[in-house]
Amino acid sequence: MTKTELILKKKLDIYILFVCVFFSFILIFNNNNQKIQKFRSSALDTFSFVYQPFNWLDNQIFLIKKLEVLSYENLKLNLENQILSSNKVENERLRDLLKFKKRNELNLIGADILSKGVNANMSSVLVDRGLVDGIERNNAVLSSRGVVGKIVFVSNNHSGVQLVSDVDFRVSVKIMPSEAEGIMRWIKNDICEIAEVQSTSDIEIGDIVLTSNLSIHFPESLPVGEVVSIHKKSNSSNKVVRMKLFSDLATLNQLFIVRKGE
Amino acid sequence: MRVYLIYFLISIVLQLAFAELLTVNGFQPNIILLFIILSSISMDNASRSTMAGFFVGLFSDLVLFNGFYLGLSSLVFSVCGYLSSQVSFNFAHRNFDLYWLILVFVGSGLYSLFRYDFFFFNDMIFFLKNWFSVSIYTSFVGFLITRAFRVKQLVLEDA
Repeated sequence: MTKTELILKKKLDIYILFVCVFFSFILIFNNNNQKIQKFRSSALDTFSFVYQPFNWLDNQIFLIKKLEVLSYENLKLNLENQILSSNKVENERLRDLLKFKKRNELNLIGADILSKGVNANMSSVLVDRGLVDGIERNNAVLSSRGVVGKIVFVSNNHSGVQLVSDVDFRVSVKIMPSEAEGIMRWIKNDICEIAEVQSTSDIEIGDIVLTSNLSIHFPESLPVGEVVSIHKKSNSSNKVVRMKLFSDLATLNQLFIVRKGE
Repeated sequence: MRVYLIYFLISIVLQLAFAELLTVNGFQPNIILLFIILSSISMDNASRSTMAGFFVGLFSDLVLFNGFYLGLSSLVFSVCGYLSSQVSFNFAHRNFDLYWLILVFVGSGLYSLFRYDFFFFNDMIFFLKNWFSVSIYTSFVGFLITRAFRVKQLVLEDA
C-alpha cells in the first residue's frame, strides 16, 4: 500500500464528511434550480400517500372540535355578511358615480392540508392542489379569516405553502383607515411586526391590516390582522407596529389559494 | 441492514404521527435525528454513518416535506452521523444517555442555526427558545423510545 493510499484510508472518514457537507451546501444554494425543483416535485407526488393515513386520523380525532370552530365561524360570518351586503350595494353605487375602475373578483380554489411538515416549528404546509388545478408559484394563500402564506413550490398534484410564521416571509401591508404602508414579518405565535411605517401616520390600536397594492404576489386588500401595539423607534423616523393575525396558524385545516389570470 | 431499515420505517411512522397529531405549541420532536444518532452511536465505521446521515437527510427533505430547504437535513444528519460514530470509540455503558442527549442538542442546535439564522443575529432569546424547545421535546421522546425499544441493550450488543 502506497503512502498516499495510507493517508487516504486514515482520513477517509473526514473526506466523506467533507463531501457530504459540500453536496448538502450545493443543494441548499441551488434550491431554486429548475431541475432540483422538478425532482422534488416528482418525489412529493410519488410519496404523498404516506401522509394520507395520518391526515385521516387527524381529521377523525379533531372532527368535533373542528365542527365547533366552523359553526362558530359560520355564524360570525353570516352576521358580518348581512352588514357587508348592505354596504356593498352602497359602495358599488358610489364607485359607479365616481367612475372608479371595477375590482376583479378573487379566483379562489379550496385546498386541504396534507402535511404540516416534519419540521421543528411549523413554517410550511403541504396542500393537495397543484399544477393541474392552475396553481402557480407565489400564489397567495388564505384561510377563512385572512392571509396565511404563499405557494413556494408546485408539483402536478401538490403544493408547498410558506406560512406567515416562516422567518423569511415578508408581505407589503397597509393599515386602515390611515392607509399607512409597511412591511410585515412574523415575530412569535400569532404576532407580527410591521416595519417601515412613517412616524407621522395616524395609527391606533385595533386598526385593520390589509395587503397593500405594492405587493407583487398578493392581491390588494386581503385581510391580514389587527394592530395590537405601536411604538416609536429611537433615532428613527419610523414607527414599529405590532399586529395580531386574524388566522389561527395552529388550527389550519382548509386553505384557499388565490389563482392568477382570470 | 434489515434491522436498520425496520427502525428507519418505525422512525418515519413516529415522525409523521408526531408531525400531524402531537405538536406542542408548534414544536415537534425530531425523531429522524434521534434515529441517526442512536443508530450511528454503535457504528465504528464513521464513513458509513456519515453517508447514512446524508441519505436519510435527503430522504427526509424530499419525502417527509421537511420545510423547503432541500439539503439542510442532509447537512445536519451527516454531521450528527459522523459525531455519533466517534462516540463508539470510547463508548461506555453509563454514559450512553449523556452521549445521545448531547448529540440531540448539537443536532437541534445546528438545525436551528441554519433555519433561524435571522433570529440568531436579531433575537437570541427566540432562537434559544426554538433550539431548547425542540431539543427538550426530542430528548423526552428519546427517553421513552430508548426505554420502550431497549435501545441501550441493542447498542451495547452491537458495539
